[in-house]
Amino acid sequence: MSKVYVMGGSQPDFERNWSREGKNVIAMLREVIADGCDNAHITYDDIIALNEKNRVACFVGSYLSELYNGQSHVGALLTEVNPAFYGVPAVRCEAAGASGAAALDAAVTKIAAGEADVAIVVGWALVNSVDAATGASYVSYASYMEKESIGVDAVMPHQFDQLVGEYLKRYDAPKDRVMKSLAHLAELGYENGKRNPKAQTRKLYMCEEQANMRGCATNPMIGEYLAQSDANMVTTDGAAIVVLCSEEYKNAHCADVAMPYVKGRGVRVAPMVLNEKLALAKDADCLLPWTKRAVDEAYAQAGLTVDDIDVFELHDYFTMSEYMLLSCIGLVEPGKEYELIESGKIEFGGEKPVNPTGGFIGGGNPQAAGSVRMFLDIARQTVGAGGKGQVEGAKNGLMVSFGGVATSNYVFIVGM
Amino acid sequence: MEIKTVTVIGANGTMGCNIAGIFASFGKCKVYMVCRSMEKAQNAIPKSIKSIKAEAIGDRYIPATYDDLPTCIAESDLIFESVSENFETKKDIIERIRGYVQPHAILATGTSGLSINAMAELYPEELRPRFMGMHFFNPPYMMTLCEIINSTYTDKALSDELFDYAENVLHRAAVRVHDTAAFLGNRIGFQFINEAMQYAERYKDNGGVDYIDSIIGQFTGRNMAPIATGDFVGLDVHKAIVDNIYANTKDYAHDTFVLPGYVQKLIDEGKLGRKSKQGLYKTVVSESGKRIQYVYDIATGEYRERVKYRFPFVTRMIAHLHAGEYAEAFKSLENNHSVEAEICLSFLIKYVLYSITVARTSSDDIRFADDAMATGFGWVPPLAVIDALGGVEKFRELARDRLSSELRAQINLDETLKDLPLPSKYDYRSYFKGKQ
Repeated sequence: MSKVYVMGGSQPDFERNWSREGKNVIAMLREVIADGCDNAHITYDDIIALNEKNRVACFVGSYLSELYNGQSHVGALLTEVNPAFYGVPAVRCEAAGASGAAALDAAVTKIAAGEADVAIVVGWALVNSVDAATGASYVSYASYMEKESIGVDAVMPHQFDQLVGEYLKRYDAPKDRVMKSLAHLAELGYENGKRNPKAQTRKLYMCEEQANMRGCATNPMIGEYLAQSDANMVTTDGAAIVVLCSEEYKNAHCADVAMPYVKGRGVRVAPMVLNEKLALAKDADCLLPWTKRAVDEAYAQAGLTVDDIDVFELHDYFTMSEYMLLSCIGLVEPGKEYELIESGKIEFGGEKPVNPTGGFIGGGNPQAAGSVRMFLDIARQTVGAGGKGQVEGAKNGLMVSFGGVATSNYVFIVGM
Repeated sequence: MEIKTVTVIGANGTMGCNIAGIFASFGKCKVYMVCRSMEKAQNAIPKSIKSIKAEAIGDRYIPATYDDLPTCIAESDLIFESVSENFETKKDIIERIRGYVQPHAILATGTSGLSINAMAELYPEELRPRFMGMHFFNPPYMMTLCEIINSTYTDKALSDELFDYAENVLHRAAVRVHDTAAFLGNRIGFQFINEAMQYAERYKDNGGVDYIDSIIGQFTGRNMAPIATGDFVGLDVHKAIVDNIYANTKDYAHDTFVLPGYVQKLIDEGKLGRKSKQGLYKTVVSESGKRIQYVYDIATGEYRERVKYRFPFVTRMIAHLHAGEYAEAFKSLENNHSVEAEICLSFLIKYVLYSITVARTSSDDIRFADDAMATGFGWVPPLAVIDALGGVEKFRELARDRLSSELRAQINLDETLKDLPLPSKYDYRSYFKGKQ
């Protein structure tokens, strides 16, 4: 099995509204692919040369592009970006909010299997083509619509809210401290986003107090427990690209370049329906056992434990998703996440920084691009390229992304 | 620098109210909202909160009147004066407060054009080093530019601290600007807008206002066409700014600050722009509910329906920009020698040259012109235009080819383009819109 190296990548500014700019998906892909290839020191001529030997492949994460953009077949769409992609195997991967992670997993598998030397992974979303309310309703499609959308306008907020209730009940956790901790995660997202020059919220204000004032006019409820500040925005356009290569390619073309590699990964799909997921979890040691299993398998493959990980990127589609993942990755025992958050350990400058980029809440979440961006950011951290959000001395990073409510779980550990 | 308490004087005005929100939120400050009446102060607070979209900051405000100034000022680490743009009004405020200022406090004015030096001289000598300009742009929550302007008396170390505070605590794009007319952003921006208005008059028989706006619209690196921007800002405000610059500067672009007669006529008729529902443009809702945009026709002095011009170079540029083909878009502009394309390209070239010229004389760093235009106007920054057009050598060649000989005689191109900090830190691609 070949080691899989991270050559580089890129993301555009997630503050950009591409519909307002009058730009289409090809404009977005042209920019991000040109920037990502440039960062990875790979040219279109290199791609043409690799393609001659059938040693390059592309994997495109995309979710609901039919609805947002009236566009399917988005793997093949890369041929519109540049003729260098003529003939290059390119396929779309979809796993709801983890579509980009699914593309990464396919790319890593392809290289590890020796079937390609270079893999280009792109995730993208152009969601401002529809209004925010319509976009929010589309996101529900990550659930089993026939069973789970009956009488519910927006399934995802409803289900994460349900998860809060289930958590409080199962662990008999102090509601005030849990809710305050969730509000603190929102504050940290915005605060960390201020260090990220490509974060969507870098002009915007948020504080724990505001996030904890759930139900006020500027922070309306989206369920029984959660409010708007607990969710990432559903209005992020953007893309992200990562260029991966095999050990052979690295040795032949860039032997002297320090590159992080994929040390471990875990992929597990939990039952689609939330109630079934929660029913099964009754006998497990945590609420999201399949997510935890994916994490544990990634640690085992990497031969590392949580103690070896210096920086984390966790899927904060809602504050509650980040909250639940803190125990899944082993930073704290389930039911005590609020204590970890209160300790300051996961803050920038803390012992185990989580989402130093701002995550989805502060940085923005262009759906399929979100997990590609997470992967790119942990890779950057391990080579000291994290900019103002750099975690000092980071050698290993871990990311967890999931589609639905912890349904399609993807974990990657990248390090030097 | 520790700023815990701020007094905003004139807190019921649009700028005072919104800037108070910046101090209350990012600055975590207790803010005295000082207005002429308690009712005005109380009404300003919810507006300020709304501008930041955060009720949590509500308990950081204290309403107050001018009668409360002695207490507010004595307690404040920073005093931000945001009363109307009238020297006598500001003088009255300074006289009211100067006896109560704490030795450590910073005195800031939000003026957009009055002389900082002249205002500094209204303070007693011991307070003059603590006074400076702090010019925000509207709306401050989304437009992050903050021009810091020293007077000749300002304590430079203190000003550096305020700069750092604006940048790192208030999350502003802070730029350091000299005490020159309209400072940096407005001087560059309103030069462009006023010259566009002048061109509308020159080309009134081709269509005038909407004709020129169609030539230098969003596809040339802005969110709104320039004359429409003037209409949005308010023609009276526009006039005040260009008149001030005309009266107090003397550079090669001096004549471009002369307000066109037709704009003065509209102002005289109370047609001030969007705020008075008519100006250079107006929207009429038909009986069927359809919104129709009208434009002031300079040639006839009447309003008429806005024309949707379709210039071939614009159509091509927009098609390329829509698909992210930036080089091809600029080639379409460069290779087209129609009157309209020539006007468009010359405006971009003149914008760059004037920005650099002003930045060299009115600030410490040419890059501040980029910050000012990107974060104060949302326009493609001047250095980024050079990047977009192919770099400095290509730009020099274009400037030589496309500017009139009269203008070339007034601008030393080589000096202007010398030692530019290229490339710009701003990515030009997001500014050039794929639409009119």
